[in-house]
Amino acid sequence: MRTTIPLFFGFVVGFFMLGDYFIPHWTYQLIKGYILEFGTLLASTAFLLGIINLIQVNLPKIIAREKDWFYKVVMLVSMVITMVFGFVEGGARMDDDQIYKWIFDYILTPLSATMFALLAFYIASAAFRAFRARNADATILLIAACIMMLATVPVGEQIPFFGDYLLHLKSWLMDVPNVSTRRAIFVGAALGTISTGLRILLGIERSHLGGD
Amino acid sequence: MRQFLFSLQKLDRRIIFVGMALSIFIPLLLPFSLPFKVSKEVQATYDQIEALPKGAPVLISADFDPSSMPELWPFFQANLHHMFANDLKPVFVTLLPTAPPLIWPEIKKTASLYKKQYGEDYVFLGYKDGKELVIKNIGQNIPQQFPQDYRGTPIASLEMMQGIKQAKDFPMLIAISAGFPGINEYVLQIQGLYKLPMIGACTAVSGPDYIPFFKSKQLLGLSMGIPGSAKYERLVQSKENVQPFSATGAKSLNVLSLSHLYIIFLIVIGNFAYFMTRDMEDEDGPG
Amino acid sequence: MIYLLWMLLCFTHAREALIPIESVTVAAPPNDSGTHLTISWRLRNDTFFHVVNDQNQIVQTLPHHARSLSISDSKTAKNWMVYALNDPSPSLQQVLAEGTSLSLANDTDNLSWSWPGLRQGYAVLRCTPQGNHNCEDHRGNWSVVRKGISPLDRSYEDVVSNNPLQDPIRERYAYRVVTLPVEYANDTKIDFFSLLLNYGSSSSTAFGTPQATWWKNIPGIYTLLFFIFGTGGLIFFFTAQAQRGKKLTIRKIPGIDAIEEGIGRATEMGKPVLYVPGIESLEDIQTIASMLILGEVSKTIAEYQSDVIVSCMVPIVREVADEVVKSGYYRAGHPDAYDPTSVRFISSDQFAFCAGTNGIMYRQKPATNIYLGRFFAESLILAETGFANKAIQIAGTAEVTQLPFFLAACDYTLIGEELFAVSAYLSDDPRLLSSLKASDWIKIVIIVFLSLGVIAASFGSTIFHQLLSISQG
Repeated sequence: MRTTIPLFFGFVVGFFMLGDYFIPHWTYQLIKGYILEFGTLLASTAFLLGIINLIQVNLPKIIAREKDWFYKVVMLVSMVITMVFGFVEGGARMDDDQIYKWIFDYILTPLSATMFALLAFYIASAAFRAFRARNADATILLIAACIMMLATVPVGEQIPFFGDYLLHLKSWLMDVPNVSTRRAIFVGAALGTISTGLRILLGIERSHLGGD
Repeated sequence: MRQFLFSLQKLDRRIIFVGMALSIFIPLLLPFSLPFKVSKEVQATYDQIEALPKGAPVLISADFDPSSMPELWPFFQANLHHMFANDLKPVFVTLLPTAPPLIWPEIKKTASLYKKQYGEDYVFLGYKDGKELVIKNIGQNIPQQFPQDYRGTPIASLEMMQGIKQAKDFPMLIAISAGFPGINEYVLQIQGLYKLPMIGACTAVSGPDYIPFFKSKQLLGLSMGIPGSAKYERLVQSKENVQPFSATGAKSLNVLSLSHLYIIFLIVIGNFAYFMTRDMEDEDGPG
Repeated sequence: MIYLLWMLLCFTHAREALIPIESVTVAAPPNDSGTHLTISWRLRNDTFFHVVNDQNQIVQTLPHHARSLSISDSKTAKNWMVYALNDPSPSLQQVLAEGTSLSLANDTDNLSWSWPGLRQGYAVLRCTPQGNHNCEDHRGNWSVVRKGISPLDRSYEDVVSNNPLQDPIRERYAYRVVTLPVEYANDTKIDFFSLLLNYGSSSSTAFGTPQATWWKNIPGIYTLLFFIFGTGGLIFFFTAQAQRGKKLTIRKIPGIDAIEEGIGRATEMGKPVLYVPGIESLEDIQTIASMLILGEVSKTIAEYQSDVIVSCMVPIVREVADEVVKSGYYRAGHPDAYDPTSVRFISSDQFAFCAGTNGIMYRQKPATNIYLGRFFAESLILAETGFANKAIQIAGTAEVTQLPFFLAACDYTLIGEELFAVSAYLSDDPRLLSSLKASDWIKIVIIVFLSLGVIAASFGSTIFHQLLSISQG
């Protein structure tokens, strides 16, 4: 029973949603819209559970003074402060001169940008480590990567005599090997999607339901 | 020499990071300007917008967040100036929750430079959760998906939105996207179904994904990453009636140039050390 | 008042220059939900462009909005002329005598020309017949549904109801199309409605009834059904074969074999296994595939009596992952070993999640990191941090843009459909393995389709394009 009911719901709702591609009638579209709203509501409700989980996991570590417990205090306090101001300021929280907006502009935005900026450094170290001409494949990869890096920036265009050839080579690399390989991966991934989706809808795959 | 070559192969990451930091700071502290050519994808982007008649509504989906701002913000900023300078009427939507506080102040600020009125000359419909489903509904029924704009005003009361019910009512769609949801989903759900003229602006890492769309004319213009944004920015700034704005794209392109050269330098010295030591034994052992 | 009088004067003067609308038709679009009507109109003197080659043959006639033509075979003729004429099907003599020849911008593959086009825009008015008002004349419940339609357009699709439950669809609707000078077509400041009816050039009334259809009758839909039922049928066929005892062989995938090795390594070192199911929500198929794999991985971890940490960005994924991990421990016969705090929600912000997961790697130093699902920019940050902590890393994603980063930084990478094969591979369940076989056979069918499509397109046939197209028109 514990798996039968979810399987039944999954089957019915899954095939109903699949029918969206085939049935344009407005009645069907309205029902589909309501089902999607249910899904959005469920996902939003799960945020409450996420917050409870954050407290459940981190509070015992703070009490037991585990390693780096102070950062967990900072995290929980930040969460509470942001939530409080978000609720208090309500719909106007993103207006200028609101504290919630200040938190977004001066804490979240620079921190997100900083984390993303780390990529520049990690790409350099990953490229240094990975681009070694150990064999023919690796050599081709290395040469293609260097051509792309040079041709993308104005420096490459300005190289005397080779500049224009570099741009043509870059276009060829993007248009021919890149596109064909990506399309092959897309087709394979799409097939994997169809077979995984059908396995779940037909109830062949059940491990995502838990509890056997 | 032999030990030096082996240690060059296993260069400490911190040294690599310092070098990268220098290659970023130097062009910011000592600005220089490298000439660059506008690519055909970006030129097509500019030309398509230029070809729109005055007063035409344009649907712009600005789906980027603070992390992708460096690549897409110059395009977005230039695009705002392009829209208002050409007396076009943009309708903005976004599918990322962190986008509205980034884009809304800039939209207001740029609109005021060109003396544009909200509701008559531009509208911001705000953020809706649902990703690809929101895109599908934009294609079918905009008032149902966005009954109110970002400020809570019913869109039926906005002069500009009279008669705009679905994506087909726009002569053009511009998708500025950092990844998912973005250009791919708009092509699938709107451009492919309704044959709507569409332009895309994306991050450099996603760019190769969208080149096939440009080749098959599903995208009529494409701007990829900082180079694309900088080139589009240059084209817009060269227009006569555009208010001056800072060329952040061009500055970023200089940084990109130097950092790319630095990475190529790292690859060269790594391979040099590798080839020189291929037949030698490392006394310190591997790793 | 003076402003209104001045507008009257402008319109009256401008109206003389407007080309009137000859006819208006209203029809329901094909395969529609029942909430749309397409209004099409023709002008009395619309311009057509006739392309004439140097053998004096009219090779093509193009509609009023055309401004370019791609030449498919530039070798047979070198000189082309384009003539503008208000006749859709004239004789060559009429074209040469009465048409306006246009100067062309030539390159080898494309003719293009300019034509001023009409200086009028269009607006569409709608009326719903009810009671005594049949909308035949200006009385009735008329409203402007669209103004500022481009001079190049000759049709408009109207949404008659946004929500048929709240705004029921009527039996029929009446439409008129009005021409206005293009400079006023988008003006929002004047009283549009009365000026349109009285001073624009208005067509007669046309009626239409929306048609709701229950089935999209497009060739591409049947192709889609073929693939869906074909895959399903093959799954059942190979499942039946497997149940009759036939062994299904799957090639070795080193990345998947490495998962068990990694779990063993973690057990020997006394360190946990870190599992990251991607950053997308449950509606993404890659996240679902990751949950299926997590079931098998958590069972193996429980059998090895090791620990797992699952780091989630989406709360609802955390709930499902929690159930899956608990079930894995139960199936392995170690329910007591399950730790409820092992499955954690970190943050719903992409880089906050990345920072939190990095923190787990630095503090708890997992011996094996498994990244299976949909990732974006945080992929390299996670992988490099794991590399710095000397963990074995196995990644799998169908997100093509992130594959290069995983390939550079991880020990094993599963590419594209290999991600969807993992749960079947690990479980060795014949029913699941049969679905892999089915998708391989469908791949062969797709290859055949692609090959035939390329050959057909090379000979100018569009049959495969029609068979695979699912767009409305």
